[in-house]
Amino acid sequence: MIPDQVGDDRKKHMNILVPDNWLRSFVKTKATARKIKEYLSLCGPSVERINGTGKDIVYDIEITTNRPDAMSVVGVAREAAAILPRFGIGATLINDPYKLDVKKFVETHKREGAKRLEITTNADLNPRWTSIVLTGVKIGPSPDWLKENLEASGIRSLNSVVDITNYLMRAYGQPAHAFDFDRIRIDDITAVMKLRASRKGETLTTLDGKKHTLPGGDIVIEDGKGRLIDLAGIMGGQNSSITDKTTTVILFMQTYNPVTIRRTSMALAHRTEASSLFEKGHDSELVLPAITRGVELLKELTGAQTGSKLYDIYPSPYKPYPVTVSKAKTFAYIGNVLTDGDIEHMLKPLGFTTKLNKTEITALVPSWRSDIQIDVDVIEEVARMFGYHNITPRLPETEPPIVIPDSTLFWEQEIKIRLRDWGFTELYTYSMISENQMDIFGLDTSKAYKIANPLSQEWVYMRPSLWPSVLASVRENLHVTQSLKLFELSQTYHYREYELPAEAPTLLVAFTGHKFLEAKGVAQALFTMFGIPFPATPSIHDEYPKDWTDEKQFSLDKYGIICEVRKQLLGMVSITLPVTILELHIDELVKHAHPIPTYLPIPKFPPAVEDLAFIVPSGFAVGPLTETLKKVSKLIYRVTLLDAHNDTRTFHIEYLDRDKNLTSEDIRPVREKLIAAARSAYGVELKTA
Amino acid sequence: MDDTKNIKEHTEIIGASNIIGLLLETQQDALSEIERAEKNENDLRLELLGGKSDLALLAKKIKNVPQADRAQVGTVINQVKQTIESALSSLKARESVATGAKTDFDVTMPGILPPEGHLHIVSQAISEITHIFEKIGFSRVRHPEVDWDWFAFESLNMPANHPARDEWETFFIDYPGRPGHDPHKQRMALTPHTSNGQVREMGKKVLPIRMINIAKCYRRQSDVSHVPMFHQFEGMYIDKNVSIGHLKGFINFFIKQYFGPDRKFRLRPFHFQFTEPSFEVDISCDVCKGRGCRLCKEGWLELAGSGMIHPNVLRNGGIDPNQYNGFAIGWGVERTYMMKAGTRLDDIRLLYSNDIRFLEQF
Repeated sequence: MIPDQVGDDRKKHMNILVPDNWLRSFVKTKATARKIKEYLSLCGPSVERINGTGKDIVYDIEITTNRPDAMSVVGVAREAAAILPRFGIGATLINDPYKLDVKKFVETHKREGAKRLEITTNADLNPRWTSIVLTGVKIGPSPDWLKENLEASGIRSLNSVVDITNYLMRAYGQPAHAFDFDRIRIDDITAVMKLRASRKGETLTTLDGKKHTLPGGDIVIEDGKGRLIDLAGIMGGQNSSITDKTTTVILFMQTYNPVTIRRTSMALAHRTEASSLFEKGHDSELVLPAITRGVELLKELTGAQTGSKLYDIYPSPYKPYPVTVSKAKTFAYIGNVLTDGDIEHMLKPLGFTTKLNKTEITALVPSWRSDIQIDVDVIEEVARMFGYHNITPRLPETEPPIVIPDSTLFWEQEIKIRLRDWGFTELYTYSMISENQMDIFGLDTSKAYKIANPLSQEWVYMRPSLWPSVLASVRENLHVTQSLKLFELSQTYHYREYELPAEAPTLLVAFTGHKFLEAKGVAQALFTMFGIPFPATPSIHDEYPKDWTDEKQFSLDKYGIICEVRKQLLGMVSITLPVTILELHIDELVKHAHPIPTYLPIPKFPPAVEDLAFIVPSGFAVGPLTETLKKVSKLIYRVTLLDAHNDTRTFHIEYLDRDKNLTSEDIRPVREKLIAAARSAYGVELKTA
Repeated sequence: MDDTKNIKEHTEIIGASNIIGLLLETQQDALSEIERAEKNENDLRLELLGGKSDLALLAKKIKNVPQADRAQVGTVINQVKQTIESALSSLKARESVATGAKTDFDVTMPGILPPEGHLHIVSQAISEITHIFEKIGFSRVRHPEVDWDWFAFESLNMPANHPARDEWETFFIDYPGRPGHDPHKQRMALTPHTSNGQVREMGKKVLPIRMINIAKCYRRQSDVSHVPMFHQFEGMYIDKNVSIGHLKGFINFFIKQYFGPDRKFRLRPFHFQFTEPSFEVDISCDVCKGRGCRLCKEGWLELAGSGMIHPNVLRNGGIDPNQYNGFAIGWGVERTYMMKAGTRLDDIRLLYSNDIRFLEQF
């Protein structure tokens, strides 16, 4: 499986199943299912899969979070009716809910009926409330067409009333609920419904049998007896739901404050299709068409009759608003010029009313498209209808900007390549380490960046050092081979009060075995690459904890350290072999880099060479002596240690005069000075035969 | 051979010119025989220079040459001997080149290998990606991995508690904030994407921008297709009149260079808070050549999220969206590498197992 970490995780986007024949009840087209899939994906919602064949075709469609209006069969149909003609296939939206005769419905349901609802609500929590009582309902199974459509789209058929509410949600994207009037009424004709914010600790059992203790501020409905009967926007209460014996139903459709719904749904970890729709903020203008159709269906399928007037509480109705975009900007985005006719043909089927002048496009936004707010939102609509596949790829035509490259990135790559060529294998360990690792290495947890919501106890602190993770990798690989040459070059995270961590690129090279001089050789070669002189003697500054390093260590001061790891520390991380470490701080190396060598003319005369052996006392350090010998005379060209055996250190001396051939007379006094310097500074004597 | 017999039979005293003539004839015969190379060098050496060779027999006759001429004859004998010797040597050289069997050295022994190390595949991929984009003037930069919430989310049009944030399983740093100070510096997160580099790069106040930001990213998830730490690269182009065509050109250039000339791609409408319009980038599946298979969605693989930078994001970076616009695109490094190589890696966690038996395969 290829990892899906591409830059987004889309699990919050919704997938809906849309049966082909249901879709075609809203869009009239001859397009085949394959074409519908292909063209919708290119210009609109992504049809990820076609399930089934023939009459049983079902589209599996991904709807993005910004398009709650498309989270319905009619929403997808509207997209199809706009998109298919772009590919030369005729398509017309039919049975559009926004074209239902709601005026007539309102007119015929104005008068009080046999039943009454006493409603209290709050426009902040509930911008629109609609409800109506229906009597004489006969609960039974739904007709086949309804059952089949619901089940093909993944909704279980229960009974005609519940199925109708689910039908409305899937067909139109309007969640609907039915209460049993008799279970909440206070007398024969009246039911009380009070919508309010919950108080912390109130409890409610939803119709799936789950008991919830509310965090407070949730939208709930209370009946006339002080009981909570609805966790509004999420799920109805068990105490008020439809049963087999129900005969009087309150059909109920609303819009809610999306933020409140989302907060409750997250706090209770209770997510339903209804809550997903409500939390995205859906169209308040859809409520009336949906309840119109709902009443129609209840009457048709359950023998219901109107039992009350229509309650519609909607203090601030939707006002369509215009969004204007410049034509020049639109055309620049798509790299093409469009005629006014083109633009109208693209936007009209999506529900926009357009007004165009020489320089601007003004689109009046339909109520269901609250995602359209600014000019680029309109550009998206035009561009996707134009077709992203019709836009020609091109490279930037302007001059590339003059950029000073980040030299650290260059050096890191150079280091990695060299280490690879020197036989090292690169590690990538996690940047997070455990509290236990912090403790073992004595790293100060109060001066580290701790993850507030760790996924595992292994990954809690942003590592201030690469040692714990690299040594863990050494240990893990010891059962494969005991001879390891590993490195990692990654950021370490250093504490700064009230600031982000200082992220410092750090190199850690690890060898198994006593490889001090090998590690030092790598360090010397890297210093040479950076053009930084390698120190003859270790620095006295050493910020490394004493219990990390063995006596075999060479501090490189701000640049890092070469050392063998202290045995006790190895024991604590369960490593039984010696381990040698080279750590380098890349920022310091980069800061002091002098990578361009100064040219020295190639000598015209060959150097004269000889080897001098000195007898040294035990514990003698050869580095300082080498440095001293180099400085004895201008004629000394190079001093290298040739051999170290017992108490003898043999140096290979090269003498050079750039202006002439050296004779033994020229060399003799220099040699004497060399011997004298060694004697006076270090008390070492020339070995004689 | 007949000549030799003649010498033995007829005379005790041999004139110098006579013997020199015989010597030169012997030399001629010997060179011809060496030239024919019908026998090997060892046998020829025995026959032509050995104790019973014509030359040896002739050399013995030197005592029959008058004393005064012996030195001259001796010189000729030596010359003939040397000529034959050198012809034999060159024959030997030819023989050993032809068969190789003459030396003791076994050339079929395994070679002495130079040290062999391994770069992690993430390093290899980063280096390749960087080089591709350098060619069209996009420079690699680096921005913090631990960053302020402002750069990771808020400036990207995702204020606190915005539902779009749920799309990222984000690690946050245990940091109390510093009341009364910069409101953009109150909350720290491990960057769940490289998009934190967008507003940071804009903040450098140098336009136009052609950026590639490659960095470690972190998400609170771990399974066969997710690791808590991974790498992304983010391309961003800001200039005047940037078009969707430029984004397509950028993707096209990369895909052709990285995956090969036959791979196709497409943009699909999508939604991100920080781009408008937003696109999902799909690449044609290499396994089934676009016909549809187990690995892909009907011939396409999702490669990247992208879009035209949202005007709010440009404003947050101090750029006037009426003057400049741009695109941004983000990919997963590991995912891109795995799609290219057909490595048959079935568990992304292997990449971070640091098992050398895995690392040494690359």
